[in-house]
Amino acid sequence: MQTNLLSKATSDKSNYMSNKINHPELCQWLDAVAIKRDKQAFTQLFKFFAPKILRIARSKFPNEAQANEVVQETLSNVWRKAHLFNSDKGAATTWVYTIMRNVTFDMLRKIQSNKEDNLSDDIWPIAETMSSEDDSFNDHLENKQLLSVLEQLPEAQQQVVKGFYFSDMSQEQLATHLALPLGTIKSRLRLALGKLKAQLGDK
Amino acid sequence: MIKHHPKFELLELFVNGELPASLSAGIAIHAEMCPKCQEKIALLTEQIAAVNFEKELSDPFLITDDIDDFSGEESLGGLNIDDMVANITQAQPSQNTKLTINKSVTYQGKSYALPRALANMEVGKAANIGKLSRSRIQLNENEVRTSLLHIAPGGGVPEHTHKGFELTLLLEGTFSDEDGEYIKGDFIMLDSSHQHHPISKNGCLCYTVANGALHFTQGINKLLNPIGAFIY
Repeated sequence: MQTNLLSKATSDKSNYMSNKINHPELCQWLDAVAIKRDKQAFTQLFKFFAPKILRIARSKFPNEAQANEVVQETLSNVWRKAHLFNSDKGAATTWVYTIMRNVTFDMLRKIQSNKEDNLSDDIWPIAETMSSEDDSFNDHLENKQLLSVLEQLPEAQQQVVKGFYFSDMSQEQLATHLALPLGTIKSRLRLALGKLKAQLGDK
Repeated sequence: MIKHHPKFELLELFVNGELPASLSAGIAIHAEMCPKCQEKIALLTEQIAAVNFEKELSDPFLITDDIDDFSGEESLGGLNIDDMVANITQAQPSQNTKLTINKSVTYQGKSYALPRALANMEVGKAANIGKLSRSRIQLNENEVRTSLLHIAPGGGVPEHTHKGFELTLLLEGTFSDEDGEYIKGDFIMLDSSHQHHPISKNGCLCYTVANGALHFTQGINKLLNPIGAFIY
C-alpha cells in the first residue's frame, strides 16, 4: 500500500529547513536506491547522513580511520540493503540509525573483546521489525479500515492527518507546506483524531 | 503475564548500542516475548535516531569544497565524497539469504530452542552440580560472565548475594524466591543489596549475566562459597 500521499508535493522543495528533517524526501531517495539503484539519490543520502555519522563515530572511536570505517560500512549497507527498508514501518532516519548502531557495535566488540562474531544483526534484526508476520498482517487490515474512515473526514482535516501520519511531516512542516498557521494545523489534527476515535470505537 | 522488565535507563543504553553483548542479548530476548518493551524500544529508537540526525552540521569543516581541486569535488573529513560514493555503488544489493539456524540445547534429556539473539554465540559444554547444570556462553567480556543455567524440577540455588549485578532471564519454565513467582520472559536484575534463594518446582532454563561470583549467606551453605563462582 502506497501511503506517501503528500510526498510528491514536498519533493519540489528540497531545501532543508534548519534543524528539521525532511522525512518524505529521505524516504524517496531510499526507495529510488532500492528500486532503480539510483546513484544520484544515493549521493543525496550520502551527503545528508555521512557528516552526521562521522561526527557520531568520532565520539565513539578516537581513531580517525575507525570513524571513517563506520561511515563507509554504514553507507555501503544502506546501498546494499535499501530494498529492506519499508517506509510504512518507520522513518528513514530510524532505519539508517539502526544500521549505524549495529556497525558501531560490531566494531567496538571486535576491538574490546577481540571477537568478530558480528552479533548485532541477531540482537537488532535489520530485515524485519521485531513484530511477527501476523501482526503486520493485522495492521494491514486495520490500515484499510482506517483509510475508509479517514476518507469520510472533511478534506481539510484529511490533508493534515495524512501528512502527519503517512508522510511523516512535522506539524511545522505541514504549516509551511499548506501555508496555514501552526495553530490551525494543531486544531485540525485534534478535531480529526477525535472523529476517528469515535468512528473506530474503543476496542 | 511478564512482571519484570528492564529499567528505562537500560533500554536507552540498549538502543544506543552501549551495553555489552551479554546484556544487549538479554534485552532483545525479553523484548521478543514482551510487546510492551518492544513498543518502548521502537519508540526510543525512533526518537534517538531523529535527535542524532536532525542536528545541522555544527562543524562547517566536515564538508568543504576542496580548494586545491579545480573540479570542485567535495570532501568529508579528508575523504573524497565522489570516490566514496563511486566505490560503494559498485556493490550489488545484498541477497536475503541469511538463514537463522535455530540453535538448541539439551539438559537432562530435555531439548530447548534458543532465542534468535543467541543464534551465533558459542555455548560451552554443560557442567553439573546436583540439579543444576550450567553452560558458559563465550563472549569474552572480562569479568562479565554469561551462562545458560538449567534447574531440574525441585532444584534451587542456596540463599546468596552477588558481588556485582546478576541478571536472570527466564527462557522456559518457572521459579520462585522470597519475592514471588517468576515466569517465562521475566527480566530480573539484582544487585549486591539483594539476597535470594530461588527454587524451581517444575524446572526451568535461565539466561544469566553476572559480573561477580555468588556469595552464599546462610549457615552450612557458606561452605559452598568456593563453588559460588561455578554457578554464575
